[in-house]
Amino acid sequence: MLKTFHPLPKLALCLAWIGASLVVFRLSFQIALFAAAMLLLLVDARIPPRRLLLLMVPFALFGFGFFTTSILFRAEAGFAVQMAQEQGGAPDVAPGLVLFFRVLACGMTSAVFVLTTDPGQFVRALMQHLRLSPSLGFALMQAMHMVPDLRAEMLQLRMARAIRLGGTLRRFPVPGEVISLAIPLLAYAIRRATRAALSFEARGLQPGRPRSNLPQPPIRRADWTLLFLGLGVLAATAAIMSIQAA
Amino acid sequence: MSNPSVWTLRETLIIAVLGAVFGVLYLGWVQAWLVLQAIFGPVTMDVVMGFWFIVSIIAAAIIRKPGVALVSEVMAAAVQVLLGSPAGLLLLLTGLVQGAGAEAVFAATRWRRYSLPVLMAAGMGAAVFSFAYTWIRFDYGSLAPGLLVAMFALRLASGALLAGLLGHYIIKALYRTGVLSGLAIDRDTRAARA
Amino acid sequence: MPDALSYDRVALRHAGAITDAVGPVSLSLAPGERVLLLGASGAGKSTLLHAATGLFPVSIPGDKRGTIRLQGQPVDSRRPADWADTCGYLFQDAGVTLAGFTVRDEIAFSLENLSVAAAKIPRMVAKSMTRVGIPQSWADRRITTLSGGERQMVALAALLAQDAPVTVADEPAASLAPSVGRRMADLLLALGCSTMVVEHKPGPILNRIDRCVALGRDGRVMAEGAPRDVLHQHDAALAEAGIALPLATRLHLAMPGLIDPRMPLQDALACVPRSRTERLRDTVLPIAIPIGEEIAALDRADCAPPFGPVVLRDVSMSLRAGEVLAILGPNGAGKSTLAACLSGLLPPRAGRRTGAPGAVAFQNPEAHFSRESVRAEIEGLDIAPEGVAPILEDWALARVADQHPFTLSQGQKRRLSLALLAETDRWPVLILDEPTVGLDGAAETALGRRIRVLARQRRGIAVITHDMDFALFVADRAVLLDRGAVQSDCPCPALMRDTARLAAAGLLPPEAAPILDWLEAAC
Ligand SMILES: Nc1ncnc2c1ncn2[C@@H]1O[C@H](COP(=O)(O)OP(=O)(O)OP(=O)(O)O)[C@@H](O)[C@H]1O
Ligand SMILES: Nc1ncnc2c1ncn2[C@@H]1O[C@H](COP(=O)(O)OP(=O)(O)OP(=O)(O)O)[C@@H](O)[C@H]1O
Ligand SMILES: [Mg+2]
Ligand SMILES: [Mg+2]
Repeated sequence: MLKTFHPLPKLALCLAWIGASLVVFRLSFQIALFAAAMLLLLVDARIPPRRLLLLMVPFALFGFGFFTTSILFRAEAGFAVQMAQEQGGAPDVAPGLVLFFRVLACGMTSAVFVLTTDPGQFVRALMQHLRLSPSLGFALMQAMHMVPDLRAEMLQLRMARAIRLGGTLRRFPVPGEVISLAIPLLAYAIRRATRAALSFEARGLQPGRPRSNLPQPPIRRADWTLLFLGLGVLAATAAIMSIQAA
Repeated sequence: MSNPSVWTLRETLIIAVLGAVFGVLYLGWVQAWLVLQAIFGPVTMDVVMGFWFIVSIIAAAIIRKPGVALVSEVMAAAVQVLLGSPAGLLLLLTGLVQGAGAEAVFAATRWRRYSLPVLMAAGMGAAVFSFAYTWIRFDYGSLAPGLLVAMFALRLASGALLAGLLGHYIIKALYRTGVLSGLAIDRDTRAARA
Repeated sequence: MPDALSYDRVALRHAGAITDAVGPVSLSLAPGERVLLLGASGAGKSTLLHAATGLFPVSIPGDKRGTIRLQGQPVDSRRPADWADTCGYLFQDAGVTLAGFTVRDEIAFSLENLSVAAAKIPRMVAKSMTRVGIPQSWADRRITTLSGGERQMVALAALLAQDAPVTVADEPAASLAPSVGRRMADLLLALGCSTMVVEHKPGPILNRIDRCVALGRDGRVMAEGAPRDVLHQHDAALAEAGIALPLATRLHLAMPGLIDPRMPLQDALACVPRSRTERLRDTVLPIAIPIGEEIAALDRADCAPPFGPVVLRDVSMSLRAGEVLAILGPNGAGKSTLAACLSGLLPPRAGRRTGAPGAVAFQNPEAHFSRESVRAEIEGLDIAPEGVAPILEDWALARVADQHPFTLSQGQKRRLSLALLAETDRWPVLILDEPTVGLDGAAETALGRRIRVLARQRRGIAVITHDMDFALFVADRAVLLDRGAVQSDCPCPALMRDTARLAAAGLLPPEAAPILDWLEAAC
């Protein structure tokens, strides 16, 4: 269902939920959103649980920062408290915990969009419906395809480095190694951009020239239904929460 | 070629991929910030803030055209949003403000000068803009004036060093890798040598 | 009718270079003609092709003298991208032909840019995938998850979809298995196509070429004409210029009067006296080296590319000191994956790898570069300062020593990456992934000898290659990978004579197969 959901309404819906998760500073809401996103990824997008867990690691580490600040250091991070105050007074539990789950909830909601959307379809939808210029569009597409490749490129760089320096390859890079790979990684990105430009040019991408688009599924009634359904659920949840709070 | 301020295809692509790579690095930096914050307290944010301006400095200094600083910073923010940054959409606004701060400094030189002092000034420009933004967002008006001055000074220094100076070194290292050949920075460097 | 493509006294110089990369040359491609451009590595072939639509000097900075015309019009009259409807490119590096999207997006890209009616595009994409032999199930795969040869196939599909009347192709078959290479030639060099093609190993396509132009080391045309005439009349000069020659011509040069290069090899061999057995064997087979103890082994290993699925199951094999092993197989068989596992760089997903640590010369030579000049790369090997110049000389890199590694020609890049591994004795196990791709004839012969020298120093060496003659020339033993498993593991000459087994894996016997048969009969 999610894979056939048109990218633009899907993006709108995901953004709406992320927005809500930023505004509603309550543990129950964050956990519910997190669980819903996980469920969608597991059942609808059929992402293997192992991969999903791996995917959660950076978010969890990230969220853990908020969490540890409040638990280990027995003091709320200024930031967390500020956030809590900014969003309407003290929350029900430790703000660190809420922030932790908020990171997971937002991260997984984004993952729902990213993992079920083909960059090509997304960019073409932007070009067709929102008049994004083709050169910006394909530059964006290049960037979206490059992010997942960074991991493999990093490994390749580490292997080449191990061969050069005569060591064996560690399973996980140490921080010093990561820092020494930052410049090669940036150089890789710029080189890739340069090559892509040559490729675009050799195959006739020219700003300002008329071009057609691989046929894209239109925004159908089902997409609108799904969008309004999602927004409806969001509104209902918000209403229930505010009644409870009152 | 006709209009020197229009981005070429290659430049557009470079801005996009730089935005993407720094989007990823920024997310990593948040990690470092949170750890440091836990140890050193809330002022840490002002100390580490500079790194989040760096892509605008780097992209602007190698491409040297109007709009580069702004768009690259927004691009980095957009990648973070797509990767699932908890700050969500608000990050786009943050990126816009920070990018605009750096862009303003480059605009003041009419996009002609990219020496180290200018880069550091651009980092400070971004710091000023972002300070104004966080002022509004977190209601800094209620803080003690002494603390505010300290925070502002720290953030300025961070913008100058972590964005301007570090950016300068990264650009030099990148130049040595040869990937910048044919870009504005390469043309200017060659012209200066000749 | 004007020429499809013509160069009139063209000389090209890269920005920052002090000499011209090529030229002045004048050459032309008539409509419907198929021209083969020969030349040593670094002669400037790729640079000439880049200039065909003005990519050089508009997007690749440099200086151009002379005029280039496409279908009669000067190329400078339009921007490079405007020529996409006239001239299609197959760059030397598939990573430049393709932009890094999914297979479908790549192939559709030029159609979209040419404003082909949207409704027609999907059918045209599917059709060009079928023509090249790409399964439709790959449509959503990203280019970066394909093997080197598979990328080249997608690049060809993208080019066919573009359907430009003029095509320039730079070593299109270099990283393809022979059977796929043949299909590539069928599509690219069909009768009536106007194609200019560069190839170091022209043997398999020679009968599809109308005219052949050879560039000398000075970047000027040294011979031109019907392919067989050029190869036969100028054989010594071509060999001198580093250009690879067909086996029969090489034999003719090495043993004048013995083998007539104009006859099929089988027939020519019939008149060779038995007394020449030794000599003939040494030209196609390696001189035996005593084989030592095992230095690396895989035990029931499952191998997977980084972040990819397992592609090879239950592999057990070993590598011995002083032995050269050829790893053969069709594109996508998992050879590069096996290289990473056998070297110990990537742990296998299951099973074990034992033995000394190994190094891989990666399929993409650029992966090895980390410094700002060729000289600096060599100096980084921890050798005495006076040792640097001889190494540069040995690998024919002295002329480009101060260039940035990434600005080298493809063959120069390959030589540098191999030099970086071969010139240290740090690694007892060496795995070379397609070391001959991009090399000219002279460099390939030198590399073959070099590999044997390394083996004599008690290293264990594995060579991954699609070039059966090269495998025969360097390897003692061969492993054939196909369908996710090792299909055979036997002495190299034995596999090379097993035509059925090779054909089942999409490989063809080497050019030297008749000699193997002849040697067999002679002994
Ligand atoms: N950007 C550059 N700056 C300086 N020199 C360059 C640059 N690019 C290529 N060269 C040099 O120009 C010469 C011609 O290169 P080119 O790639 O055209 O060779 P080639 O004939 O295609 O060789 P190969 O068969 O190895 O691919 C080489 O000596 C190369 O080092
Ligand atoms: N990251 C990946 N994800 C999924 N599949 C992959 C990935 N990388 C490689 N593969 C697949 O694994 C198989 C083996 O790839 P490998 O690069 O080892 O092939 P190869 O034998 O070296 O081929 P070639 O001769 O074309 O270089 C291929 O079918 C390829 O499509
Ligand atoms: Mg070349
Ligand atoms: Mg391979």
